[in-house]
Amino acid sequence: MISRMGYNVPKANRRRGDGAAAGRGGMGKKLAILSNVNINSLIRAMKTEFEVYEPEGYGNELLLLLDIQSGYHAFRPDITFIWTDLAELIRHEPEEEKALSYMEEWFAALEQGMPDRGIFYLSDGHLWGAEWEVLSDNGQRYVLENAFRRKLEAFCGRHANAYILPCRGLVERLGAQSAYSETMWYMGKIPYSQAMQKLMCETMRQRVRVISGVPRKVLALDLDNTLWGGLAGEADYEPVLLSEEHKGLAYKNLQRVIGQMRRQGVMLAVVSKNNPEDAMPIIEKHPHMVLRKEDFVCLKINWKPKADNLREMAEQLNVGLDSFVFFDDSQAEREQIRQMLPEVAVPDFPDRPEKLPEAMAEIYRAYFEKAAVTDEDREKTAQYAANARRQEMRKQTADLASFLKTLEIRVRVEDAGQNRERLYQLVNKTNQFNLTTVRYDREQLADCIGRADRLVRLYRVTDRFGDNGIVGAVIAALSGDTARIEEFVLSCRVMGRHIEHAVIDRLERELSGLGYAYIEGVYVKTAKNQPVEQLYDQLGYKLLSDTSGEKRYRRALAEPVEREYYIAEWSQKNER
Amino acid sequence: MKDKVLRLIEEILQAPEGAITPETKIADVEEWDSLAHVMIIGALEERLGVEIPLDEAVEITCVQEILDRCQGRTMQA
Repeated sequence: MISRMGYNVPKANRRRGDGAAAGRGGMGKKLAILSNVNINSLIRAMKTEFEVYEPEGYGNELLLLLDIQSGYHAFRPDITFIWTDLAELIRHEPEEEKALSYMEEWFAALEQGMPDRGIFYLSDGHLWGAEWEVLSDNGQRYVLENAFRRKLEAFCGRHANAYILPCRGLVERLGAQSAYSETMWYMGKIPYSQAMQKLMCETMRQRVRVISGVPRKVLALDLDNTLWGGLAGEADYEPVLLSEEHKGLAYKNLQRVIGQMRRQGVMLAVVSKNNPEDAMPIIEKHPHMVLRKEDFVCLKINWKPKADNLREMAEQLNVGLDSFVFFDDSQAEREQIRQMLPEVAVPDFPDRPEKLPEAMAEIYRAYFEKAAVTDEDREKTAQYAANARRQEMRKQTADLASFLKTLEIRVRVEDAGQNRERLYQLVNKTNQFNLTTVRYDREQLADCIGRADRLVRLYRVTDRFGDNGIVGAVIAALSGDTARIEEFVLSCRVMGRHIEHAVIDRLERELSGLGYAYIEGVYVKTAKNQPVEQLYDQLGYKLLSDTSGEKRYRRALAEPVEREYYIAEWSQKNER
Repeated sequence: MKDKVLRLIEEILQAPEGAITPETKIADVEEWDSLAHVMIIGALEERLGVEIPLDEAVEITCVQEILDRCQGRTMQA
């Protein structure tokens, strides 16, 4: 839909100036971002760079996964991110046994709903909110968080294509105080502050890059002003900076990061212009060296051009130059390598030593972290999945049914005249589940409510978690023996629960009772209402015409139709 | 303050500078849907320290009303 203000939203307007990750872009990957809370703002942010699934509603990750007919499955994402609010997941239950059983339920549903392809990143959980601060035993909170983490680890252990997303780590980086926003939570069920959302998006971008690129193997390091401060050759006059304090500690911490990378399988090498007799004693004996000679697979400490040294090293180690990352404080050296050996990755060097450890962690994430899954893994899953698919489909539908039943959905038809403002809002601010996107002003709505040839219905939906409020509206025009649905909207809060099937079913019964023989519906395509494009087809309506984004449907009310919905209770006042 | 608020709103709506003025009505901006509204109210608090009570936040219909509230908050502070 074209903006009424006359400006266009620029697509892909933000190219991240992320030097370290250049060359490992993730364009062309399809992403889905799901959650049990509202993370639609993350989707909106990621959409400027990636193709992202636009979910039917929010906070309904399990419904989307379990419903094989959901837009999620049709979208076939390459990577699915699931951010979980742990307190919501355990329904704010502090008692361990119950909380654990809710976790288990969740993982079981996830297991059922996970499609046979694509990669999954699942967040660990952090318990946020004042209620957790007044627990008599605060350890209880960590018990629950850790239990979720353990279950997540076990889950990822069972699924080669599932990985952990460190939500808790991100919260810790910011501090819980800054990571959450009560205002946005109460207003729109968005728990995360915008600073936190930025970190979440960064994390997702980084994971996409990891998956898209081939990981590198060798980290080639300079020595002077890289692994330590100062110059080895001058050490007699001025000791190198490597210690437990100030800048010296920054270099030591950099070495700790690199040492950790070695444990993850990164090969370390030294390429440095020094006299070996100056450098080696430091590497072998300096009390604050974390990395020692045996940590390196290769040491080239000489005065030859570094490009020559790297070529030799590649040969000796029998790996391609495209497996190398070159880390050097000298801009001139970096430039030379970039020009002479373009296959070698040359990340920027931070301007201050205190930034070194974090910069190295970023280099690890950008270049070395193992791609989530091998091609072999992918093929294997695809094979058996194809066979199991048909069988699964029936099973999953059954599971969705039982899941929806547990929600104990109750619908009440509310009086339109008494809820005019809500009707006005619903009609004018609903974009996704909106069949026609016809907007009405208050007078037009008042007119509709008063007229005998219009039928206006409002729907309140309650489930076992509470009252969702008035979340649906229908306006139908009555003429002769036919009722035509001119407006049908449903808030994204309750989408994906088959409530629309119940609404139409009940409406048809009511119309039938009033003596109408036909019902007609129309779908008018907009930029945002793709989720309901097939609605009338699913409801058993016959397509009459399909012209320029407008599809007209009709159904004889006497014809039998089968629909599935799970409403525990339906109540309606007799309005007419 | 006024300019900061306008730029913040434009940033969240991904609109060019100058697209939002004090006279802008929320209903006239396609991109200003309920999600964007929550983000704007959240950003006002997070980045500019302007706290707007929930029941007021949902009643806002135009930019001037946001500016009035920012004015009120800063004067109290």
